[in-house]
Amino acid sequence: MTGSTGSVVLHVLRCIGFAELSRLADAVGLPAAEVESHLIDLAVAGLVTRTPGEFGGWGLTEAGRVENARRITGEVDATGARDAVAAAYEKFMVLNPELLDLCSAWQLRTVDGVVTPNDHSDRAYDARVLDRFADLDQRAEAVCADLSAALPRFRRYRIRLAAALDRAQAGALEQLVDSTTSYHTVWFQLHEDLLATLGIPRQWATIR
Amino acid sequence: MSWIYPLTPGTDESPTLLGGKGHGLVVLRRLGLPVPAGFVIGTHACRTFLRDGRLPEGLDAELATAVQGLEAATGRRLGAARRPLIVSVRSGAAVSMPGMMSTVLNLGLTTEATAGLAAETGNPAFVQEARRQFLTSFAAAFHGTTDDAEAGTRLSGIAVADDAMDQLRAAVCAVFASWNTPRAITYRELHDIPHESGTAVIVQAMVFGSRDERSGTGVAFSRDPNTGEKTPFGDVLFGRQGEDVVSGRSSTRPLPELADREPAVWENLLAALHRIEQHYRDACHVEFTFEAGRLWLLQVRPGGLTGRAAIRVAVDLADEQLIDRHTALRRISPQHLRNAHTPRIRTGDGLDVLTRGRGACPGVAAGRIAVTADRAARMAADGPVILVRPCTSPLDMHGLAAATGIVTSRGGPTSHAAVVARAMGKPAVVDATALTVDVVAECVRADERVVAEGTLVTIDGTSGEIVIGNPGSATVTIDSHLNRLLDWADEISGNRSQRPDQERLIAAHARL
Repeated sequence: MTGSTGSVVLHVLRCIGFAELSRLADAVGLPAAEVESHLIDLAVAGLVTRTPGEFGGWGLTEAGRVENARRITGEVDATGARDAVAAAYEKFMVLNPELLDLCSAWQLRTVDGVVTPNDHSDRAYDARVLDRFADLDQRAEAVCADLSAALPRFRRYRIRLAAALDRAQAGALEQLVDSTTSYHTVWFQLHEDLLATLGIPRQWATIR
Repeated sequence: MSWIYPLTPGTDESPTLLGGKGHGLVVLRRLGLPVPAGFVIGTHACRTFLRDGRLPEGLDAELATAVQGLEAATGRRLGAARRPLIVSVRSGAAVSMPGMMSTVLNLGLTTEATAGLAAETGNPAFVQEARRQFLTSFAAAFHGTTDDAEAGTRLSGIAVADDAMDQLRAAVCAVFASWNTPRAITYRELHDIPHESGTAVIVQAMVFGSRDERSGTGVAFSRDPNTGEKTPFGDVLFGRQGEDVVSGRSSTRPLPELADREPAVWENLLAALHRIEQHYRDACHVEFTFEAGRLWLLQVRPGGLTGRAAIRVAVDLADEQLIDRHTALRRISPQHLRNAHTPRIRTGDGLDVLTRGRGACPGVAAGRIAVTADRAARMAADGPVILVRPCTSPLDMHGLAAATGIVTSRGGPTSHAAVVARAMGKPAVVDATALTVDVVAECVRADERVVAEGTLVTIDGTSGEIVIGNPGSATVTIDSHLNRLLDWADEISGNRSQRPDQERLIAAHARL
């Protein structure tokens, strides 16, 4: 009923939270119609549901959360990828505080000792932040490569992160932190995916 | 000595060489205030280390001499089984880079010294916890500076040696090397700090806030950093180490509780803050530890207040004749004025403060508490909601979108939650460590208070206050301190015409 692509759709939805079809399809990397077909199958199986309303969208049911955790544990055990993913997670957690520093620096800057919103009028400052983003992205690429080698479904993150940075470097300022396809949003989902894959509750993870 | 300077009143090297933290500690010693004995390895040693990849010629001998001096001053011996000397090894650059570099605590707790200190204190649990903290901070210091495999071999090599002097040398190298972690490099790029300056290393006899129930640690401001009011402000953590405050692992108590529990420490702390203010002619804050009822100062920073608080302090200090009016005006930049116009919770009598975290996105928001993203999304149809979570994940995004304001009990101003709140432009308070979120019971708890989901609260994303009810917000226009400061500005510029505040300030600055 729900084969391996269905499992991927279920897991991506688990990691990105409530989402409209278009956002989910972008995260999965498949055409919307195909993703919707899987969603309908998953809904029939009672694993996902669609909440109407302004803040609604597709999301997992409690049964879906349990089933996804079961499948992900099975996947990690069957592929023997746990150690490689755990090692990559350690490296990710070294980069994570720096990424958050950069996001904060993109949003706020200190002028005359006062923290003020970055109004993006100082191009030189923005260029410096972007440069460091690009530097961090190179180091993130190595972590993504390790993850993709361990579990191919992680490949999509590299593509989405690189695309977000490309758009930001081309002048789309909202693509670093602000939009639902921004670098931070994708990074945040990768963080969630690593925790979900390794079965680490977020409250227990090192949080700054 | 050419690399190492004692933390004594006679040391007169510059902050460039001693680092800001080291220099501040020397100032405290000069003021006759209690600072644990110690020494500073200068920033020039770091520069040499980074250039050559090893500690500079002669440093080893100086380190041995400096440790002997410390042993003589404390009557203890590094690595000894009886009365062992335990030290902290901290970074301290000329310009502060908080949290960017390594710190090693409780160094010297070798197997032998651990047993010795346990026998000496009669408190093996405290010593074991201190040893655990040493190993954790030691491992972390290496983790941040080398790749995993290398850190593993180097750390295990050192751990096997179990020699306190080797540990000290390794820790100094680790702190120096942490100057060049990618995160530290990024920080300097973003804050215009030169990459070549390097960090000093401060080695001090440990004082233990975790020693007993008459010990603890905290941060104290001489004036309220939210309002500028001349009243001591800060947090204290009883029976714990300083790192627990910084990491937010333990929940703190308001500073004035120290007055009841340790009146002597409180009196000494107030006197120290007063003395430091007189010296710097500015508001200040200190990090402190008290061990078995005795106060120690670990760091001092003058100034650092912003917006309305900075304005009030400048005017008050002029009234107290610590500074003149020209100096007061010079300390206030147009940025402070702009910042002062951020809406804030209306203060005054009867404000029912539930707890306080740290402001992560400025602004005031009032709404009913929701403790899950799902409920926030549902409740938002009936009016504004404040989403309160331990921390946030992507699964909370619809709740964050639906909420008017955001509170988390964990994570700092650069957590995912803070970044998302700012991206959405929503007032946010993070790191409200006293709060616990109970999803099952549909409530939040702060100390003994239980506040049900649906209760109206107001949050201030500047000061981090969480207040029951809705006292409303206020802007700076009614601020008498600002009005007086601007009157002084007009006196200097000679222009009393009606115009925006910033123009009045800038005109005065032009003639100062």
